[in-house]
Order: sequence, then structure tokens, then C-alpha cells
Amino acid sequence: MLSGFNVILSTISFSIETEEAESLKQQVSFTTTTIPTALLFSGIPFEKACQLRVKGEGGLSAATAGTMVGLSLGEKHFIRGGIAQDLRTDGRKRLTYRPISVETGVIPQANGSARVRMGTTDVIASVKAELGKPDLLQSDKGRVIINVDCSPTAAPIFEGRGGEELSTELSVALQRCLLGSKSGTGAGINRSSLMVVEGKLCWDLYIDGLVVSSDGNLLDALGAAIKAALSNTGIPKVHVATAASADEQPEVDISDEEFLQFDTSGIPVIVTLTKVGRHYIVDATSEEESQMSSAISVSVNRNGHICGLTKRGGAGLDPSVILDMISVSKHVSEQLMNKLDSEISAAEADETES
Amino acid sequence: MGSSGASGNLEGEMEVDAFRRLFPLRFHERHLLESIRPDARPLERARESTVALGAVASADGSAMAKIGHTTMLAAIKMEVMTPSSESPDEGCVAIDFHMPPICSPFVRPGRPAEVAPVIAKQLSDAITSSGMINLKELSLTTGKAAWMAYLDVYCLDADGALFDAALLSAVAAFSHLQIPAVSINEDGRVVTMSREDGDGKLANDPVIKERRKLTLNCILFSLTCILHKKYILADPTAEEESVMETHVTVVLDSSSRLVSLYKPGGPVLAYASAVQDCIALTRHRVKELQKILNEAISDMEVD
Amino acid sequence: MAGKAASVPSTYSPSPTQKKKPTIFKDVDWVRPDGRGFHQCRPAFLRTSAVNAASGSAYVEFGNTKVIVSVFGPRESKKAMLYSDVGRLNCNVSYTTFATPIRGQGSDHKEFSSMLHKALEGAIILETFPKTTVDVFALVLECGGSDLPVVISCASLALADAGIMMYDLVTAVSVSCLGKNLVIDPISEEESFQDGSLMITCLPSRNEVTQLTLTGEWSTPKIHEAMELCLDACSKLGEIMRSCLKEAVSISKE
Repeated sequence: MLSGFNVILSTISFSIETEEAESLKQQVSFTTTTIPTALLFSGIPFEKACQLRVKGEGGLSAATAGTMVGLSLGEKHFIRGGIAQDLRTDGRKRLTYRPISVETGVIPQANGSARVRMGTTDVIASVKAELGKPDLLQSDKGRVIINVDCSPTAAPIFEGRGGEELSTELSVALQRCLLGSKSGTGAGINRSSLMVVEGKLCWDLYIDGLVVSSDGNLLDALGAAIKAALSNTGIPKVHVATAASADEQPEVDISDEEFLQFDTSGIPVIVTLTKVGRHYIVDATSEEESQMSSAISVSVNRNGHICGLTKRGGAGLDPSVILDMISVSKHVSEQLMNKLDSEISAAEADETES
Repeated sequence: MGSSGASGNLEGEMEVDAFRRLFPLRFHERHLLESIRPDARPLERARESTVALGAVASADGSAMAKIGHTTMLAAIKMEVMTPSSESPDEGCVAIDFHMPPICSPFVRPGRPAEVAPVIAKQLSDAITSSGMINLKELSLTTGKAAWMAYLDVYCLDADGALFDAALLSAVAAFSHLQIPAVSINEDGRVVTMSREDGDGKLANDPVIKERRKLTLNCILFSLTCILHKKYILADPTAEEESVMETHVTVVLDSSSRLVSLYKPGGPVLAYASAVQDCIALTRHRVKELQKILNEAISDMEVD
Repeated sequence: MAGKAASVPSTYSPSPTQKKKPTIFKDVDWVRPDGRGFHQCRPAFLRTSAVNAASGSAYVEFGNTKVIVSVFGPRESKKAMLYSDVGRLNCNVSYTTFATPIRGQGSDHKEFSSMLHKALEGAIILETFPKTTVDVFALVLECGGSDLPVVISCASLALADAGIMMYDLVTAVSVSCLGKNLVIDPISEEESFQDGSLMITCLPSRNEVTQLTLTGEWSTPKIHEAMELCLDACSKLGEIMRSCLKEAVSISKE
């Protein structure tokens, strides 16, 4: 007991020391050496030190979360320089993705689920369908609710309420990219197909995203996982038993055997272009994201139309740069879409075999 | 020293400002000796007040009241409810008072101001106990449907005498309230009548209520005073409230009957004569406010 | 009395809920509900120093959309915050209960606070107030459409009123896509039937976009057109805001 107590005490004092060291480094930033920060924390695991610091911080905004990746000046230069020369730290070119792997049907209880890994970023999406009553204003449409959760296993800062802000940001961005506008144009999911009996009964789709491991580019990975999960989704066929009168709920019989597949061809892919220096990169790692000035996430469907767009990062962008980024992301999206589709069908084939 | 009204050179003003911050009590007491207040008011005078009706288009009745810098926005939204079995022919009034973070540096999001629920309770006590509103007038069909009037008062700028301003805006909102015309549709729900289909349906619909005003049985006004030593200061600012802590709030109706009187503790114990003086000041204030409200109502009718 | 408050019965708004999409929006030439041209903004009213208790504030009215923003600080950061050599920006957007046609629906906009933060942070020179926090609080008194752009423009006016150093004013404008037409500064009714929307917040004199959101399905030429429209409106709005600030200063000098 006693020794455990001592250990905690020593780590705390240590982390304060490094804190001072860091602030010192900021003051004399040009003369210090380029030792990676991880070395400064020698003795305690890096993550633990992060955790201690974050606990003191209280509410931590998602914007500052990026700067939590402890990078020395040398490392920062290395990342920026690599991007400028089209050779990133992991050997990729600016517009190359990390290896993508897709696994479907990972959660048996859900109507559909998928796990997508991009490098060390690992996310799971699940789709649950429940019968509900449609909204009065949109009586011929079902509901789609997208929610994202950041697991504390992904990063220590997600513990407690730490991940809340990032979760909301991701959920809102996904809703904007996948659900289209109020009238339903540009929606990846055809909500009219969720209708069972107009004004009485519809399917509500609860799409939950879970960030298991976070190493940048969460939005693209979540978008891909949701696309894969939806193509894995089977919605039970519903037989309406009786023709109910105007004010009664109709009796239904939910089939166990027959399932309706979703048409997922319209679901857009999300491409995030991160601007570091004067260049943009796709699929940024969290180290690269910490160096970004701003990023644009564009969702593009198969017709090459833009279905949603969000900008992250506070720095302003010239309108012509934005238009250029949009056209680059459109170009990239074609490759990603094809890659994803082949991965998804391979995963589906794997699942049916096993 | 001198009062802040005197225009000295810049240095002199700075000195007054520093004194005001460092010794707020002495600063105010020095003024009281001269029977004047830092904003050049005599002790018993309230600040200039204005009322504007119909400030919120999306509400059924609304008003904005200003007393000095203190600004209140009150709006009433009418919704339909099923009346309780004890009083099947009565509607209901739900009153709430909000202090959003914009109104004062001391309110932060997620941490509501302590005084807000106190003022909300005082407001709803004063309005319900005085019988200002006849709840029977809010009934639609006995036992089936009645109006629920949601009154929400928002403080937009807090500079003292919050209750007075809140009550003034609430009363003004009620006098501006137009109860919408409604009918009952096939499903038994009450719906507002839109202008286009109003004529055709008149014959079939079971209940038609015309667009009407609410009659107010009496009109309430209030005045908050600060008691400090032998002085009585009417209508205090936020600064005065923070320095001198004994408040007396008197609520009178339009015929000068006492509706309520609050003196929530404080270091000064008031003699009956001091309370009488407060009531006399309020009586005078009621006349002023009545005039302001009447002008606002007649302005509205001209438009 | 207390008992009554506790057992508040469930209520509903008597306004008709069944709304059908008016077909006029689909035609090539229709008239906007308030009679404006497609590329015409609503009449705007701007005023600074609306709230005396705040260090800076502004009240902005675009048609029926009415917004107050107060700025407090720079003031001491929360005790739990660590040392920071740049200032912090804290934003919050809330709605009054009577802002929406149906009572209490305004609380659906949780993301507005972070969107306001993102729109403003690129414009504020945070280095000028190290260790401290600037709080930007917005209250939507009445929503009549295009709420977020109005909140953002109003907030930058309030920041200027508070004397917070900024690179430029932040202006925001949104367009809705209805059928084939682009309409600028949409009202609630148009927003609820829109096929797509695009909002830009920018620093007009630096020609920089700080925030851009888009929903619905858009082709690239349409995005070009919408962005141009928004940027043009933003720079015009910037001039109006600038003249409003100048006017406030000249009045206070007198």
C-alpha cells in the first residue's frame, strides 16, 4: 500500500518537473537541442505523463487536444519538411492513404457492423434498427441518428468528459456529410426506404461509431466504417398484419428470415485534406494533425457531387485554396471509393465463408 | 474628493475612481451625507424607465422593460393542456425567470445565478396570489382543454433592482397578450385558425374562441429600496446593492393595496416607520410606472 | 402554488403541425415569402454596447432573427486551467425558450457553441491576452433563420466593442439552395425546405475563410457560384459593421 502511494507521489513531482522543462524550452526555443520529448519523460510511460497533465487541465477543448502530442522542435521540422518534399515520416506521399482494412459483422447483436483500420487508427461502427413512429413533420421518412463515442482506450484524454467535445464535433460532421440537407437531397441514406406504414411506423436507424484507437483521420475512418456497416446491414422484412384504422397502431409481424439489404451505392466517402504549411495531405496521423493550420473534410458521392463539407482548425484560408482543395479531394475520393468498395466486398465474402 | 458629477481634470477623476474601487462603502456614505447618489440621483428617485410592447414576434405577448441599465425581456407563449380534475375550468400560468450568461459577468454557462430561482418564485407568488389573472378566463372546454400560459422573463442586462424590472416586464407582457383564436380538429386537438381556412370551417368546429385580450383584475408594480443606516435609497444599482445589503421590496397593486413585502434579512433592522416610508415611496413610484405602461399601451394601439 | 408548479401537465403548441412543402419553391420563378430578391439580404440593424454589464456587446437584428452577444474579459481563467502563453476563447450560444415557434426547441443547437468558437478563433490575436480568458456569450432572442451566421457576425462586433485585438472583423453569411435557385440569407421557412445550404464565415479585408460548412448535394460550379455570392455579401456586411463601429465611436466622443 505504502509503496504504491510513494510511486504516485514521485510521478506527480516528476511531471511537474517536465512541465517546467517544457515551458523553459518554449522560452529559449531556438537554442535547445532537438531531443524528442518522449526522452524527457524517461522513467514514466509517456501516456501516463500526458494523463497527469490533462487531469490538471480540467475541460480540454478539442482544439488544444492536437497540441498534446508532445513533439520537439526537430520533430516538427522533420514532419513539415517531409510533407514539403512529398515524403512523409512513414514513407507515404502526400496523397497516399495508410493501408485500409475492413472487417464486417464484428458485432453479432447489431443489424450491421464494421471495423475499419487505417494504420493504427481503429474505429467500429454499428447499425441498429428499431421500429418507431415517424415525426409529424416528416411522416414518410424514418429517422437516422448518428452518435460517436471516443473510448478512453484510444487516448487518455477521452476519459470522463474529455472526449465529449470531440465526439460531438465528429457526430455533427458525420450527420452533415451523410444525412444531407433538410429536404433529403444529398443524403447517403434514403430515409424514405425506412418507411413501413406512412405516418404510423418506420425504422429508426441508430448508427453508433466508436473510436477504439486514435491516430488521426478519425472522420474519414468513421465515414468508411459507417459505409461498410450499412452495406452489412440487413433490415428484417415487416408484414403488416391488419389494415388498422386511422388512430390505431398497425399490428406487425417481423420476419426472422427475410432481410432487406440497403442500397449503399449512394453513400458518400469522406476525404479530409489537412493543410500543413503550403501543402495538403490525406489521412494525416495525429502527429501530422498537430502541425496542421486547417483541414477540410469533403464528402463526395459516386457522381462526383459534394454532399457535405466542414472546415476544422482556426486559421483562415483563401477561397481559391478551398476550391483547389475541393477539386483535389474529389479526385482522391474516386480512388478511395473504389478501394473501399473492394475491401467491403472482400470482407463480406470473408464473413459468409467463415 | 467631490462627487463624480463635478468635472475635474483627468487626474482628479482617476483619484475618485480609485477611491470608489478601494473604499466603496466610504465612497457611497460620503455621497449619502450630501443626499445625492453617484449617478446624480436624489436618494428617493428611481431611474428612468421605459417599456416597449411586442418586442418578440414569435410570442403571443411580449414586452421589454428597462429601469436604468437593467433590461428585462418577457414573453408569453400559449400552449394547450388538459386541466387537472380539481379545477377543470381553469387554465394555468407558469412563470420562469432566467439569467443567461450575457447579463452579468458573474453568471457563467452551466452555473445558473443564485438569485434567479429566488426572483422566479417571488414573481410567480406575486402574480398568482394577487389574482391579477383570472384563471377561469384561460379555460377552453371544461375538463378537456385549457390554456397554459408560459411566461419567461430573461434578464438581458443586470444592474440592480432585478425584481422590479422583471415584474414590470411581466405585467406589460400580460397586458400585451393576445390569446389566439382556436378550433378543435377531428383528432380532438386544439389548433390555431389560420386565416385562409377560418371561414369554411366555422360551422363544423365544436369550439371557436375568438382572438381576445386577457382582462387583468389589477396591475402590480414594485419598488426595491435599500436601507442603510438612516437612509433609504430607492431603486438601487448593482453597485449599491453590492455595497449596502439590506433590501426591502414592496409590491402594490394599482389601487395602492399592499400585495407583498419582502425584507430578506440584512444587517439593518427596520423600524415600522422606515417600512412605512418605503411603502410611501412605492406608492409614488406606482403612479410613475402606471403612466409609463399606459403610454406604451396607447403607443401600441396607435400602431 | 408550489404543488401546482411541480405537477405541470404536459402541454402542446396549438399551431398546425402538418406542413406540406409548397410547390412554388420548385418553380423557376417564385417570390420569396418576404418578397425579397434571391440575392437580397434582409434589412439589418446593428448596435454596439447593448449590455452595460459586459466589457463589450452587440445587438444584431436580421429581419426576425434577433441576437445579443456579450463579451467578458479578458479575465482570469478558471482555476483548473494551466498556464497558457496565449489567451483562451470561450464561447457559448443559447436560445430563449420563446425563440422558436414551438416553445423550447432552441436547445437542439449544441454544436453552435463550438462552431462559433471555430469561426472566431482564427481572427482574434490570442497572444495579446496571455494567461486570461475572453468569454463570448450569445443569446438568440428570436430565431428567424440564418441564426448561426447572425450570431457570428454579432459576436465579432461585440469583440470589437470590447476592444479585443482582432486581425479583422468576422462576417458570416449563408445561402440556401432551393431547387435550381440560390437564395441568400434564408429565413426559417426557406431553411426548412432547402435542398442544400452553404455557410461561409470570413475575414473580409484579408479575403480569408475561417469556417465553411455545406450540406446537400452540390456540383462544383454551384459551389463556385454560392461561394462567390457569400463572399460578396460578407464583404458588404463587413463594411456595414465597420460603419456601425465608427458611428458608435463618434457618438461616444461627442
